Amino acid sequence: MIWEVFRQEEPGDYHRHVGNVHAPDREMAKQFAQIQHARRMQTNSLWVVPQSEIGEVDAEDAAFGGTTDKSYRWAMTYNDIDASFAEEVADSEAEQREAARKRREAMEEADD
Amino acid sequence: MIMDLETVKDRAGPRQFGPGDDMPEEYRKAATRMIQFHANSEVMGGYLDKEFTRKAPSLDRKLANTAKVQDEIGHAQLLYRAAETLGVKTRDEMLDELANGEGKFLNCFHYPVDTWYEAPMIDFFVDGGAMRRQATLKSTSWTPYAHAMDKVCFEEGFHVKHGESILRELMQGSKATQERTQETFEVWWPRIIQFFGPPNDESHHNDFAQDVGLKTATNDELRQSFLNMYIPKAEKYGLEIPDTPRIEYDEESGRYELAYDELDWDEFWTISKNEYPGSKEQIGSRRRRQEAVEWVRDALDSWESEATGVATGEAAD
Ligand SMILES: [Fe+2]
Ligand SMILES: [Fe+2]
Repeated sequence: MIWEVFRQEEPGDYHRHVGNVHAPDREMAKQFAQIQHARRMQTNSLWVVPQSEIGEVDAEDAAFGGTTDKSYRWAMTYNDIDASFAEEVADSEAEQREAARKRREAMEEADD
Repeated sequence: MIMDLETVKDRAGPRQFGPGDDMPEEYRKAATRMIQFHANSEVMGGYLDKEFTRKAPSLDRKLANTAKVQDEIGHAQLLYRAAETLGVKTRDEMLDELANGEGKFLNCFHYPVDTWYEAPMIDFFVDGGAMRRQATLKSTSWTPYAHAMDKVCFEEGFHVKHGESILRELMQGSKATQERTQETFEVWWPRIIQFFGPPNDESHHNDFAQDVGLKTATNDELRQSFLNMYIPKAEKYGLEIPDTPRIEYDEESGRYELAYDELDWDEFWTISKNEYPGSKEQIGSRRRRQEAVEWVRDALDSWESEATGVATGEAAD
């Protein structure tokens, strides 16, 4: 049986997918995950999840974020407004700009 | 073993505790109260904001408004999940409490809206104030709450900028439009100041929540930083800050000194008990909408129990 492994580096962090292990049951999966994924890497906690329990939808099945122009829901669209007066608004806009950039790049790649 | 309160206070810090920790009841209850209040406010704010889609003067504004409402309801979902991780109440219980009038939520969402001039009061000033608070909650000690804040803050920049864009548009409109906006601002300004709660010494839950790291800033700190950022914004667009409550900037301390006693605290405390006429109206209209789509939840529940062979119990409402 295959178990997907998620590792959290420090308390408060997100558990991030780091790989998987072969194991006959949950206890053994936890052991193997420790050995394979937490021996050298800084680790606070590990999750193991049966691979068969994971549902997936990918870019071939779905148009994530839609295919029509939805610029109205991005902070950058309102560029006659200066976000710098409040750190949290500026941060949010920077995160959105970064997300939009990645998304655009991926779409351009898919077009080539 | 259950962590004792002293240990909790010692260890309190950003994202220090999570579902893997055995937290004492006091902590779990205080965190539930806080996150449930926050989640309820997202629902009630979303329902209030929904009115602006109909009032919005252009298609762009209508689209942006529906996107914002969708975000707010999404924030509520994230927060009910985060609250559930404390093991005190289920999501269904919290939704029931909101419908039957027990659930508490932010003061500004107890005032029904009926004009587009009110849109920037909510979307710029109230969202802006909420975002000030939410940014500090990224460092709350309950990790699932902090994680919810990561996503909420990511999205909120759009709300605040869109809200400011509406204010700008109105204040560049005709003289009559500017006057209507100013009048509306005068009605909302005291409510916006009260958004941050009573002066520190009158707040009941503040100290404990801070001692255990659930809150990282006081009402007063948040209100001060809000006034520092948003008064100049209001003035920039030509809004005049109303005379009541008296508000004076003290150059030396860098603080806005407020005449708190000029605010209507009777109304505030009535609202906090859900007993204001607007409270009843808002809670009731949301409950009726919730009931109207009960068949959807029922269908989902029966589908789930067929698929899993387990009865899911009662539907949300
Ligand atoms: Fe929100
Ligand atoms: Fe918002």
